[in-house]
Amino acid sequence: MSEITSKTANETPAARSKGARPVQLGVIGTFLARQGILVAFALFMIGFTIANERFLDPDNIMGVIRSSAILGVMALGVTFVVISGNLDLSVGSMMSFATIVVLDLHDKLGPALAIPSMYAMVLCLGAFIGFLVGYLRLNSLIVTLGMLSAIHGLTLTYSGGKNMDIADKEGTWFDVFGQSAVLGIPVPILLFALLASGLGIMLAKTPFGRKVYAVGGNGTAATFSGIRRARVVFTCYLISAFCVATAGLIQASRSLGSQNTVGQGLELEVLAAVILGGASLMGGAGTIFKTVIGVLILGFIQNGLLLVGLQFYAQYVVTWIIIILAVWLDIAAKRGKLWSPIA
Amino acid sequence: MEPGTLSTYLKRGAIWGFIVLELIFFSIAGEFLSLSDKPFMDLDNMLLLFKQSAPIGIIAIGMTLIMINGNIDLSVGAIFAMSAVIFLDSMTWPIFAGLGDAVIPVAWVLALLTGVGLGAINGLIVWKTGVDAFIVTLGAMLGYRGLVFMYNGEQPTSHLNWTLVDFAEAQFLGIHTATWFLLGVTLVLWFIMTRTVHGRNAYAIGDNREAAVNAGIRVGPHFLINFMIIGFLAALSAVVFYAESGSVNPNDGELYELWAITAVVLGGTKLAGGSGSIISTFGGVLAIQLLRKGLGHIGADTETVNLVIGLILIAVLFLDRQLNLKGREALRI
Amino acid sequence: MTSKFRRVLATGVASACLFAGAAYADTMKIGITQNNVGVDSYQTTYERAFIAAAEANPDVETVVLDAGGDVARQIAQMEDLIQQEVDAIIIWPTNGEAVIPAVRKAHNADIPVIVTNSNIAEQGFDFIKSFSGPDNITQGSRAAEIMCDKFKDMGIDGEAQIVQISGQPGYTTAIERAKGFEDRLPEVCPDVTLVETQPGDWNREKSQRVMEAFLVKYDDIDGVYSGDDNMGVGALNAAKAAGRDGIIFVGATNFAVGYEAMERGEYWGSIYQSPVDDAEAALQTAIDVLNGEDVPFLNYFDTPKITHDNMAEFSKPVF
Repeated sequence: MSEITSKTANETPAARSKGARPVQLGVIGTFLARQGILVAFALFMIGFTIANERFLDPDNIMGVIRSSAILGVMALGVTFVVISGNLDLSVGSMMSFATIVVLDLHDKLGPALAIPSMYAMVLCLGAFIGFLVGYLRLNSLIVTLGMLSAIHGLTLTYSGGKNMDIADKEGTWFDVFGQSAVLGIPVPILLFALLASGLGIMLAKTPFGRKVYAVGGNGTAATFSGIRRARVVFTCYLISAFCVATAGLIQASRSLGSQNTVGQGLELEVLAAVILGGASLMGGAGTIFKTVIGVLILGFIQNGLLLVGLQFYAQYVVTWIIIILAVWLDIAAKRGKLWSPIA
Repeated sequence: MEPGTLSTYLKRGAIWGFIVLELIFFSIAGEFLSLSDKPFMDLDNMLLLFKQSAPIGIIAIGMTLIMINGNIDLSVGAIFAMSAVIFLDSMTWPIFAGLGDAVIPVAWVLALLTGVGLGAINGLIVWKTGVDAFIVTLGAMLGYRGLVFMYNGEQPTSHLNWTLVDFAEAQFLGIHTATWFLLGVTLVLWFIMTRTVHGRNAYAIGDNREAAVNAGIRVGPHFLINFMIIGFLAALSAVVFYAESGSVNPNDGELYELWAITAVVLGGTKLAGGSGSIISTFGGVLAIQLLRKGLGHIGADTETVNLVIGLILIAVLFLDRQLNLKGREALRI
Repeated sequence: MTSKFRRVLATGVASACLFAGAAYADTMKIGITQNNVGVDSYQTTYERAFIAAAEANPDVETVVLDAGGDVARQIAQMEDLIQQEVDAIIIWPTNGEAVIPAVRKAHNADIPVIVTNSNIAEQGFDFIKSFSGPDNITQGSRAAEIMCDKFKDMGIDGEAQIVQISGQPGYTTAIERAKGFEDRLPEVCPDVTLVETQPGDWNREKSQRVMEAFLVKYDDIDGVYSGDDNMGVGALNAAKAAGRDGIIFVGATNFAVGYEAMERGEYWGSIYQSPVDDAEAALQTAIDVLNGEDVPFLNYFDTPKITHDNMAEFSKPVF
C-alpha cells in the first residue's frame, strides 16, 4: 500500500514532521478528532440503549462480542500488516481454507493432530505471501488479490467442492474452541482477548513492535537504520496467517461443518474494522487496542440496527459514513485543518 | 524518463505477447481437449471475446485513468449495480408510462446520471477531506451497496424490454453492440489521455503530485472529474450489459472492482501512478477474458480457473518488476 | 482439468469401440452451464453425477461449464455453447429472469434448451423445451404439512410462532418453495403465525447470522422453515449457541448434515431430494428431446417427505 499512498503522504509533509500541532481546531475539536472513534462508540452505545432497552442486556452484549470474535481475531493480524505499510486481501479466502482443512483433518488424524497440521499449512501460505511482499518486494495489494483467488481455488481442490463436516459431532472435544465457556465467558471471546493482549503487548512494548512501526512509517529510513525490512514484513504476514488460522479454528469448532465459501468477503469487513480503528493505510500508525474498538463498533452497529428493526444492509450505509468521518477527523486533527489543502 | 526504448517496447508489448501465447496454447490444447469441432480462433468466437470483455472492460478503461492519478476506485461494482437498478426500474415508473419505447433513452440518461452522481460524491470527498481514495471508495463500496439493497430489499429488480434486447443483440457490421461501446470508450479515453491537457495533467499528478501543484494544476477538481468519468463508465457498462439481461440482483457487480484492477495491472499500469496506457489496459481486459474462455474451452473446472488466474496475476507482477529492473540497469550502463 | 481429460479419453475410446463395432449413430453433444459449483455440496455432487451419467452413455459427449454465480459469465457461456454448435443446452440459471434473452438466443439458433433444478421465469417458457427438476411448490407445501403435523402432536398448533429463512432472492427455487409453504400453512394450521421471513442465500453462515438476529428479536420462536437443510443447520447452530431448545426445524433438500441432526433429534423434518436424480433426470430429458420423444414440459422427479420418524426408510444423503 505504501506505494499508492506515498503520494498522498507528500501533501502534508509539514504537518507530519512538526508532530502535527493543531492550529484551527481548538482543544475540544482536537480531542474530538483524536479520540473521535471512542466518542462515536460512546454515542452509539447511548443512542441504541435509548432506542431499545435490550441493547445493554448482558446476554446481548456477550452475544455481540462472541459473534465479532472471528472477525476480530483476523483484524488483529491485519493490523500488523497494515502498520507495516502493506495490505492483506487474502484473509477471507485463507480463513475458508483453514476451516475446511481442520474439519477434514479432524476425521483423518484426530483433533489433536489436525489443529497443528492446519496451523502449519496456513502459516505456509502466510510465509509465501510474506516472501513475495517482503523479500521480492512485490506490491501487496496485487499479491494478496491474486492469492484471494488462488487460495479459493486451492480450497475447492482440497475439498473437491464439497461441504466439510465432522462425522461424529457428539463424541469430539473439538467444539471447545467455538461453543464452550470458561467461568461464564465464551471461549471465542477468551481467545480473542488473549490474542489481543498478547499481540497488543508485542506491538507496543517489544523491539519487534517498534520495527513494525518503523518499517511502515518510513521503509527506506528503517532500512538505513539497520532494520531488515523484508524480515519484519515477512513476520507480519506470518502473524496475520496465525490469526487467520485461529479464526478458522473458532469457525470450524463453532459449526463443526462448513461450506467452502465461509470466509468470502470477510477481507473487506476486516479492513473496514482496522481502518475504523485508525490504522493508517500509509503504514506506521494504529494500535491493537483501537482495532479492537473498531471491531466492536462494527459489531454493535450491526446488532443495534437489527434491534431497532432495520435490515442488515442499513449497516453498510452507516459503516460508510462512519469510516469516512473517522478517518477524516483523524487526518484533520493531524494537519490542524478540517478541509483538505488540495487546491 | 527514458528507461531504454527496448525495455519500454518490451513492457508495452508484453501484454500482447501474453495474448498471443494464450491464443496459441488454447488453440493447440483445444484440438486435444475440446469437444468442439470449431477451432478456438474461429472468427465468431473472437468476436464474442470482444463482446464478453465489455462489462469489465468499460470499467477497466476508466480505472486506468484513476490509477494513473495514483488513486484507486473500489466502489465501481456497487455503482454498476446501482445504475443497473435505476436503469431497469425507471422504465416501469408510472410517469414515463406514456412514452412507449421512447422510455429507453430516458432510462439510459437516468442510469448514467446515477453513475456520474455517485462518482462525484467520491470525488468530492477525496478532494475536500483529503482522505485517501482507497479508504473513501472502500467505504463507498459498502455504502453504495447498502443503497442498492435499500432500493428493493434483497429482491432482484427486473424489466425485460425486447426492443432493448434486440438492440443489444444487434451486430452492426458484424460487431456486437457491446463491442462498439467498448471500442468507443477505449478510443475516447485514449484520445483524452494522449492528446489533451487533461490527460497530460493526469500523468503529471500521478508522477509527482507536489510538482503538479507547483506547476499550477488544480488537483482537486481534476480528481473530481476523473471520479465522475469512472462513475459514468461504470453506469455505461451497466446499461450496455443489462439491456441484454433484464434483471439485476442486488449482489451483481460484486468483485468487478477487483477484476477491473487486475486487468489494469496486467496492462502494466503501476499502482503508484504516473504511468500506464489505455491501449495496454484494453489488452489486459482481453487477456483475462481469453483466459476464462480458453479454460472453459479446454474443460478446466472452477478450482483450476481460480488457481490459474490468481497465480498468473502474481507471476505477471513478478515479471513486470524484473523487466523494470532490467530497464533501469540498462539505463545505468 | 484431469477429470475432463479422462472423460475425453474415455468417451474417445468408447466411441472408437462403437465405431469399430458397427452401426454408429452420431454422438449427441450436450452443453451444460451450471450455477455455482463448489458453493455447496449439492451442486458439486450434481456435477459429478452429471459427468458420470454422461460417461456411462456412449452416445453422449458433454461440455461442462460453471458460471460461478455470475450472470454475465453465464450469458457468455450460453453464447460460447451456441457458437460451438452443441446439439442441446442444459442451463441451471443463476437468475431466473436475467438469462431469458440468452435462452432466446439459443432458441433462435435452433438449439433446444432444457432448464435444470431451478426454473426460469414464465416469460421465457416459449424458448425452452422442458424443465427438469423438483416440484418446488409441492416441496414447500409438504414442508408446511410436516411442520403443522408436528405442532399438532405437540398441541401448540393454536399459538405457535415461526420464522422462515428463504433461499437466494430472485432464484426461482427460493420463490417457489416460500410460496408453497406460505400458501399451504394457513390451510392446514390457520392459527400458526409466520412472523418474519429473511433470505439466507442458500448459505449456512448467512443463515446462522439471520437466525441470531431472529433470536435477538423474538423471545418466542416455535419453528423454523428454511429453504434447504444447509441453511436449516446454520439456523440450528445459532439456536444451540444461544441455548434456545425446543424449536422445530423443517427444511428441504435433505443434506447429510441435516440427516445427522435429524438422527440426533435436533432437526425435525425435510424433503428428500437427490442431486444424482436431479442430474440424471436433466441429462435424460436432454437425450429424450434430441431423440424426438415426447417430454412433459414440467418434468418433475419425486421428492418425498422425510422426518425423524420415517428417516430409516431413506439412506443418508451422500452430500
